[in-house]
Amino acid sequence: MSMFGGMEISASALTAQRLRMNVTAENLANAETTKTADGTPYRRKEVTLESVPGKGGFGAQLSKAMGGGSGVAPGGVQARAITEDSTDGKLVYDPSHPDANAQGYVRMPNVDTVTEMVDLIDAQRAYEANVTAMSASKQMFAKTLEILR
Amino acid sequence: MLIDTTQLALERSISGATQRQEALAANIANASTPGYKRVDVDFHGALAAALGSSDAKTKLATTSFATQADAGVGNTQADGNSIDVENESAKMAANALEQQAAVSVAKTRNAILRSAMGVN
Repeated sequence: MSMFGGMEISASALTAQRLRMNVTAENLANAETTKTADGTPYRRKEVTLESVPGKGGFGAQLSKAMGGGSGVAPGGVQARAITEDSTDGKLVYDPSHPDANAQGYVRMPNVDTVTEMVDLIDAQRAYEANVTAMSASKQMFAKTLEILR
Repeated sequence: MLIDTTQLALERSISGATQRQEALAANIANASTPGYKRVDVDFHGALAAALGSSDAKTKLATTSFATQADAGVGNTQADGNSIDVENESAKMAANALEQQAAVSVAKTRNAILRSAMGVN
């Protein structure tokens, strides 16, 4: 990590949470999509996150050279995978629907709007927490620079 | 000597708080990462040990802080994550204030030194 390590860590989290919001938005947008490119109904997508081990820049190397300074270097976060939820959506009786089967039932996407809204709020709050963390880091760097004045 | 033990301790505590800020930022960043365990930097302990030793000045100059996994964590969620965002935010706010206080004191001490030298 460089001098702005704390801010880089928070920035990686902002990227990850924004991706979560984008995927949730896609799920909500496709809540009624009964036919995708491969002919099946839309399946909701989910983002799994993983932590990134810190590289440990100059500061970490220096403290290692000075003896001690063991332990883990804090890293950021990144998306590990975007996975599809494999459960089947519910069947709705609508014989006039172009995607209805021989019995008149339509397979709907497995998107539950309430779950998606909760995910959206979760991602939004996490985003805000990281913005706060980033501004705290920024204030600390600004304060450190005051020593020079 | 121009740089005394207090000034050195202040400098080290600024550096320790900056390192701790990174650890706390990483905790908040990984608030929704499955299996993540919180990390922290105990720079207070390291500084107290250095200041308590017989050769405090050398000890202070060479002491370094380790970012370590926190063993004593309270709640772990079903996905193995042990981060409580409110708790981390509170720690971060306190840490930032501590760093800013140390910077203010270090700055004032520098100003006193400068005025004693007749530089404005």
